[in-house]
Amino acid sequence: MTATSAKPWPKMTSREEFQFIAELVLKCSTADHTLVTLQDQDGGTTRFANNQVVQNVNTRRGSVAVTVAFGARQGTATTTDFTAGSLRETVKRAEAIARVSPEDPEFLPPVGPQEYGACPAARGETIKAGPAVRLEYANEAIGQCRMENLSGAGIVSSSRAAVGVAAGTGLLAFEERTEARFSITVQSGDATGWASSAHRSIDRLKVQERTLSAIHKAIQGADPQELPPGRYRVILEPAAVAGLWSWIIWMLEAKAYLKGTSPFAGKLKRRILDKRISLENAPGHPDLLGVGFTSEGLPSPASRWIHHGALQQLLYDRFTAKAQQISVIPTIEAPCLSIDGTQAGSLAQLIKSTDRAILVTNFWYLRTVNPTDLTLTGMTRDGTFLVENGEIVSAVKNFRFHESPLRAFQQVEAWTVPMEAVTSETGKMLVPAVVLPEFHFSSVTRF
Amino acid sequence: MPTPSWDDFADLALKRLASSGAEYGDIRIQRATTQTIRGEDRRIASIRNQDDIGFGVRVLYHGAWGFAASSILSLEEVPRVTDLAVEIAKGSASIVVEKVTLAREPVHRDRIVTPVRIDPFSVPLEQKTDLLLATMESLHGQASVVRSSAGLWARRDRKLLASTEGTHLEFDLLASSGDCTATALHDGRFASRSFNTPHLRRGYELIEEADFLRQAPLVARQAVEKVRSPAVEAGRYDLVLDPEHLSLTMHESCGHPSELDRALGYEANYAGTSFLTTDKRGTYRYGSPQVNLVADNTEPDTLAATGYDDDGVACQKWDIVREGIFLGYCTNREVASKIGEARSRGSNRADGWGSVPIVRIANIGLEPGSATLDQLLAGVKRGIYIEGHGSYSIDQRRYNFQFGGDAFWLIENGKRTHMLCDVIYHGITPEFWNSCDGVADRSHRQRYGFITCGKGQPGQSGWMSHPASHARFRNVQVLRGEGRS
Repeated sequence: MTATSAKPWPKMTSREEFQFIAELVLKCSTADHTLVTLQDQDGGTTRFANNQVVQNVNTRRGSVAVTVAFGARQGTATTTDFTAGSLRETVKRAEAIARVSPEDPEFLPPVGPQEYGACPAARGETIKAGPAVRLEYANEAIGQCRMENLSGAGIVSSSRAAVGVAAGTGLLAFEERTEARFSITVQSGDATGWASSAHRSIDRLKVQERTLSAIHKAIQGADPQELPPGRYRVILEPAAVAGLWSWIIWMLEAKAYLKGTSPFAGKLKRRILDKRISLENAPGHPDLLGVGFTSEGLPSPASRWIHHGALQQLLYDRFTAKAQQISVIPTIEAPCLSIDGTQAGSLAQLIKSTDRAILVTNFWYLRTVNPTDLTLTGMTRDGTFLVENGEIVSAVKNFRFHESPLRAFQQVEAWTVPMEAVTSETGKMLVPAVVLPEFHFSSVTRF
Repeated sequence: MPTPSWDDFADLALKRLASSGAEYGDIRIQRATTQTIRGEDRRIASIRNQDDIGFGVRVLYHGAWGFAASSILSLEEVPRVTDLAVEIAKGSASIVVEKVTLAREPVHRDRIVTPVRIDPFSVPLEQKTDLLLATMESLHGQASVVRSSAGLWARRDRKLLASTEGTHLEFDLLASSGDCTATALHDGRFASRSFNTPHLRRGYELIEEADFLRQAPLVARQAVEKVRSPAVEAGRYDLVLDPEHLSLTMHESCGHPSELDRALGYEANYAGTSFLTTDKRGTYRYGSPQVNLVADNTEPDTLAATGYDDDGVACQKWDIVREGIFLGYCTNREVASKIGEARSRGSNRADGWGSVPIVRIANIGLEPGSATLDQLLAGVKRGIYIEGHGSYSIDQRRYNFQFGGDAFWLIENGKRTHMLCDVIYHGITPEFWNSCDGVADRSHRQRYGFITCGKGQPGQSGWMSHPASHARFRNVQVLRGEGRS
């Protein structure tokens, strides 16, 4: 990549400027408790379709939220205007809400000063990247599609953000974060192939590699055969695994668990999945999108969520954590799923060692069908194939599935090391590709 | 020095655009004020007042787009962002193949204001929190109800759209909604039942008319009945769908496939494409002769009835499906000409100042028929009556769909009997709409819609209404959610 980077302008809110803003807010607040959060983001997306740019945007958005409380009566007001007058008016709006709010029995004052570990959340090359760099990457992907006489649609995006949290308790957290994303859908006749990536560094998007992967899938997807719905052995690529696991993670809310309205009710510290599966939060991992602290200013520590198939943690709000005497609230913004034992070296090796299975590139439009047992539905998308005797023998028409990941992951037959997984419906995870012995496809669509 | 007005900022941007060599440019300055009150388990969990102000500049340069936006509305930032938008458009133009041509539209100068009886922002906060607390208390009147929630939402958008063509439009728009939900627990299973007002461009009168305190006991009773009800037996059933439920079915299986940008591949990498390809327009049998789907962005109170879209095109009414035949798309000025239409349908919308407008579903509604709900039910020997929204999923070309619902009743010999749970129905869009054999009359019509329709990269939330009366569909595949198996 040799594009000349655009100058890093506009200047983002610095730590000192955030401190100044926080002090101004705290000074003019008359409330018992005041929490200030700031997000100042500048970023853009170059979007292409039919092998040409159809949208090319850049947005700078700064936002300050002020939450105040009189006793246990609280209110929040936000503004995108950082001028002193606007910040004062925002405090007044928050106070006006809090004064007439009912007391919240679950209110807790903001946390005090915290210790944060180092989190590599910002990369200089992404900070410097602007529209020109994004356009060059997009053009690279478009060029590869044109060379194959195929049609590509996708995005290259990059952003940088300053994030701060402060409170009258002495709490002060500030961090710069960057993020870049690439995804592409390649169309070959009626078939599509897809690939994506996300990283703190725009130079780690692997645009060429991902584009070639999507091209390969689109070409392989020609002339799909229709297989009947039913229960099949499946090879799930990392994106498909991430789609299912996102729902497991979203459903870990502690309050629902305690009220009995969670698929995990009564299962804490018990085995819920294949005993070789572990899930961790790894905010310091250089390939994940970890952060140093939460929106409430709590540290985001490394933590273990599932160990040897047993559920170890729940997603706690501060009130429930206190009631349950949880001293350190775990977070899971940088999930890493791993499976103990002998791993296949690659997805290709996994395919080679499988007699017969449906290979799924990605799932789409996942939703709960039954929250009690976490039965989900969704479609396969952008590359669904039949594997026989260790080879992809044909593309197959896309299936709708009807399955609970809590059932499907009771037994994993084979797997790879954790790999990058980014979908349009999930954040970034590290997960293995897996072979599952049985997966319920309930219907077939027309392509 | 006096504080510059929005018109001053707009003039500054437009003058700069005029000298940039761009063939078209516009600026949208917008201030969105949102009040969100959420109640949860008998407490007010949050009250949030958001003030979101900024501007976006859109430029068409040598047939290619650029867009830049900022939340800093100042005499220094407007020129910087305008120049950045031009620079971005020049970048796009450097690799353009097929140049964008905008469909012609008359210049409009107008001011649009949502007429409301009660401004929701003027209603005392205590009155709102009292209502939500009383609603949740009522939901917990049933012993099996273990969780409750209730919420109120209101948003006001003040916006200026000014273009290099001379269009100058001022908007002062309002929208409101409210909801409540009870979750009941029984024998290790749980189920929820909700009551929602439609999202409409109306004031607090919408909340008062909804009468939450009258609705809440019924919601709680039905949550308990639902969690205790038998699971459906899988098989083929006739379905009678209520207007709230139909709003989602129509949105997913008719609304999205009728977006022309999808049919042309613009959304291939995210929201998907459309089975309603351009060759099908005018001849394709989408549904039965009873199915008339009309886009109407002129109906008062509905979400997309904003007078003009973000291209500055006047809102219109047109056929999407007439007597079952697919006729028309939702378009903007960019894509209209690609199918030979001289004028955009006016469906180009951004979800705020920081987003570029994209083609959005219009207020697509199902035209009323002549039956009553009782007559539709009377014609069913073995079927299911469905109300409200539940699980939903559809493939990226909008063929294969699966919907749940919020509440289900077994219909036997023309009568609603008892509730069911775990009902999921599945179909292929044109087969499903061709199985429609009856639509209730105008007296049954309701106007539900959405403010969270996800589309675009970066993602945006679209707003649109989908009015409908009850409708009946024959011999639809029903599955059982696998909660008990």
